[in-house]
Amino acid sequence: MPTVKTLAGVLAALLAGPAAQAEGSTAADTAPPTANLAAAWRAASRLGYGPTPAWPPATGASPRAWALQQLDAAYAASKRPPALPAEVAGINAPLGDIARSFQAEREARRTARETPKPGLAAASNAGAGGEKFSREMAQGAAAWRLMSCSDPALENPLLARMTEFWFNHLNVFVGKGPVRPFVGHYEINVIRANALGRFEDLLLTSARHPAMLFYLDQAQSNSRGLNENYARELMELHTLGVNSGYTQKDVRELARILTGWTVNLKDGEGFRFAERLHDKDSKVLLGRTFGNASMAEGEEAIRYLARRPETARRVSTRLASFFVADKPPPALVARLAAVFTDTQGDLRAVMRSLIESPEFWAKDNQLFKTPLDFACSALAAAGGVKERRDIGQTLGFLAQAGQPMHGWQTPDGYKTDAATWLAPEALTRRADYAMALAPRMAEPSYLNAFFSVATRERIAQEPAQMRTGLMLASPDFMRK
Amino acid sequence: MDPIPSLSVNLLQRRSLLGLGALSALSLAVPGVWAQAVPGALGNGRLVVVFLRGAYDGLSAFVPYADKDYYALRPNIAIAAPDGTAQTAIKLDKTFALHPALAPLLPLWQQGVLGFVPAAGLPAPNRSHFDAQYQMEIARGGKTSGAPGWLNTTAGLGKAAAPGAVALGVGEANPAILAGQAAVVRLIPRGQSAERTGVLANDKTRQALMDLYAGDDKLSEAFRQGAGSRMQSAQELMEQKTARTEKMAQDTRRMADRNLDRDGTPANLQALNAQMLAASNGAADPVGLQLDAQHLGTLMRNDRKLRIGFLSAGGWDTHANQGAATGQLANNLGNLARGIAQLRQDFSEPGDVVVVMSEFGRTSAENGTRGTDHGFGNAMWLMGNRVAGGRWHGAWTGLGQLNEGRDLPAHHDYRSVLAQVLRGAFALGDSQLADVLPGAKWDKRLDGVFNKV
Repeated sequence: MPTVKTLAGVLAALLAGPAAQAEGSTAADTAPPTANLAAAWRAASRLGYGPTPAWPPATGASPRAWALQQLDAAYAASKRPPALPAEVAGINAPLGDIARSFQAEREARRTARETPKPGLAAASNAGAGGEKFSREMAQGAAAWRLMSCSDPALENPLLARMTEFWFNHLNVFVGKGPVRPFVGHYEINVIRANALGRFEDLLLTSARHPAMLFYLDQAQSNSRGLNENYARELMELHTLGVNSGYTQKDVRELARILTGWTVNLKDGEGFRFAERLHDKDSKVLLGRTFGNASMAEGEEAIRYLARRPETARRVSTRLASFFVADKPPPALVARLAAVFTDTQGDLRAVMRSLIESPEFWAKDNQLFKTPLDFACSALAAAGGVKERRDIGQTLGFLAQAGQPMHGWQTPDGYKTDAATWLAPEALTRRADYAMALAPRMAEPSYLNAFFSVATRERIAQEPAQMRTGLMLASPDFMRK
Repeated sequence: MDPIPSLSVNLLQRRSLLGLGALSALSLAVPGVWAQAVPGALGNGRLVVVFLRGAYDGLSAFVPYADKDYYALRPNIAIAAPDGTAQTAIKLDKTFALHPALAPLLPLWQQGVLGFVPAAGLPAPNRSHFDAQYQMEIARGGKTSGAPGWLNTTAGLGKAAAPGAVALGVGEANPAILAGQAAVVRLIPRGQSAERTGVLANDKTRQALMDLYAGDDKLSEAFRQGAGSRMQSAQELMEQKTARTEKMAQDTRRMADRNLDRDGTPANLQALNAQMLAASNGAADPVGLQLDAQHLGTLMRNDRKLRIGFLSAGGWDTHANQGAATGQLANNLGNLARGIAQLRQDFSEPGDVVVVMSEFGRTSAENGTRGTDHGFGNAMWLMGNRVAGGRWHGAWTGLGQLNEGRDLPAHHDYRSVLAQVLRGAFALGDSQLADVLPGAKWDKRLDGVFNKV
């Protein structure tokens, strides 16, 4: 009888017959098969998008050990360019190329608008016809996200997860015209590249990307016409959090510090510091004086905000809410914040602490899948995105469910708690999506091991063509 | 904390639930209660809130044509003063005129059921869409996260008398205004997908799903409730759509018969089609806001326990190329007019009130890109039999003195308007109003918005 201490062993024993009991007490390492399976489900579903046909990995590691291996693999992957399939590779073109195509598109639309058309107001000419480039870039970014979240051969699942988390934290909205063509580049080069690096590097890279500069109107802010939008959200959402002691005056001072931070679409850099637009007088932000009147001032301010204890707390709270429980245990948040501070914002170290925490593995810390979780885990169970229809159907499902891909309009990002997503009629639409996907995929029998006896037995009564859809629509598949 | 409160599901309705035999086992039947309007804290009133997300330009909807400043501030995007021709504003009174795209609503003004408060808003300027919308949806300031939506709190007042859903939201998956634990809320999606039952229509599939979700945990209860209410919604909405199509066919046949009778020859097909269109007022199947309004009306008509409805419409953030009598904003206003007219059809009982609101207004002056930026005060609309319509209410000081030199001031806290509405529609007392709108003050200047009963 194979040992049940390893994950592969657990499954082998289960499939072979009555499972042998294991000694040991830690659910994540050595435990009765059902507890270990629960841990495996949790690890796969939270630190990735769920089991895939390639599950379980042949390494024979316990769920916790597997998770820590994934962390190292994700970090390594983040340092390499992504494996973009040819049909979406354009989303990661050099910034200069994207900028040039975007400018050309804008010019063409401006010309079309200014040419008088009989019977139509010029204002209504900014229609779909003139936005082909932007639309294709947005669609490509959405397709890549679905692909990367559903196929470990294309992207490390934990890296895909961290990309989702940090994109949501530093949200940009694909529906805003100038942001659209840059979303994919932002996701890959700002978010993915820094998802397990240092927080302040992630933040600075975000601050200097056209997607963010356009989204929160920083690109237009200057000493004569201050725009406070980015400065406010930088403190309220990206770092300190609301009610953490900054005032409206601080918002204004930070906005003054950041004047001159603007978009550069000509030279392919994406960002430039416009000396001419910068407010050169001294500023006082959160009691600290800034006044060396150059780009370094803004960089210093951003790093300063990133290193404050309120930021450590806010980031840790969001990570704990996302990965552990809707109401995260205070002890866990405190521990993560301490690691964040001690390592100066090393996100990989923080994730290691999270994976090693007992709270992550505790049965009572339940999480309900968001529509995005549900869709990506269904695609993952199918073995990834196989055809165009998968993308169209999935994006349609997400939009209708209220979580459109890259489409959260406001900088706070979408919530991930059950109170937001566990709505009665919406659950039935998940069943529709599951049944629509099912005919195009092989039956994911390997999922059975994770399901309750009641679910397994009920599904087994149905003919083959129903079983797949029911597995994806089952209550077991709704949790992670 | 449980994500959803415990539910008692009343699936007995006036119409027979065809093909829903399998569900009867799980209905906790409370026979007969549905038929009359439900007594209790919400009386006979019904409230529908339409939220225009993105800060619609109220100065273009209700045009202050008599104010010279208006034309000086908006050289390119002002609506021409009323002169009886098309593409000019339609005179309402000596201060305001209606945007021509809102012409379908003119009869409502003339009948005295449509009115507005021209300059209402948040207690203090807030030019962040996300922030301002959230404040208006939880009806309190600051950044209280997890606060309930004020429509949820209001719905909760009626809960004791009416177990089951009291509020219905159409189009949004999880609007903050309806979020909370005080009351059960039904949410259906935008558009035609609300008319579709999906895989639940297949008996075997439905049975299997119901078996999978047979447990007594919250998730299973929610799924079962969702399945029941979704099938119900879809059936009612499809019946209504079929009835509409049937009526059109009947009207066509009647016209065809008349043609035959009159001259004994078969009706000409083209003529028939033209007449059919005429019979339906030239309207194609409703889409967009009008369809959502129709869905809201149907479901709330069929289930009288639903006292509160919520709809929203976006696309109002016209920073560039706003247009004037025609253009981007005009198109949106046209859609809105159709939606409001639809609501009037379904919500014209004495106790019904419709409110249209937005998170803030737009700058009084146009900007450098023939649009407008984020402002402050804005017009709130009120519609209902008991609304003192055919006039506007509250303070108006014109565009000569602007807030921070750029915005229409908000002379009235939006909550004061809502307080009048809640008292008018539901007869809420002071302590109930304080629950729903914490910190709001009564504004006597608005005491005339409702006619005394």
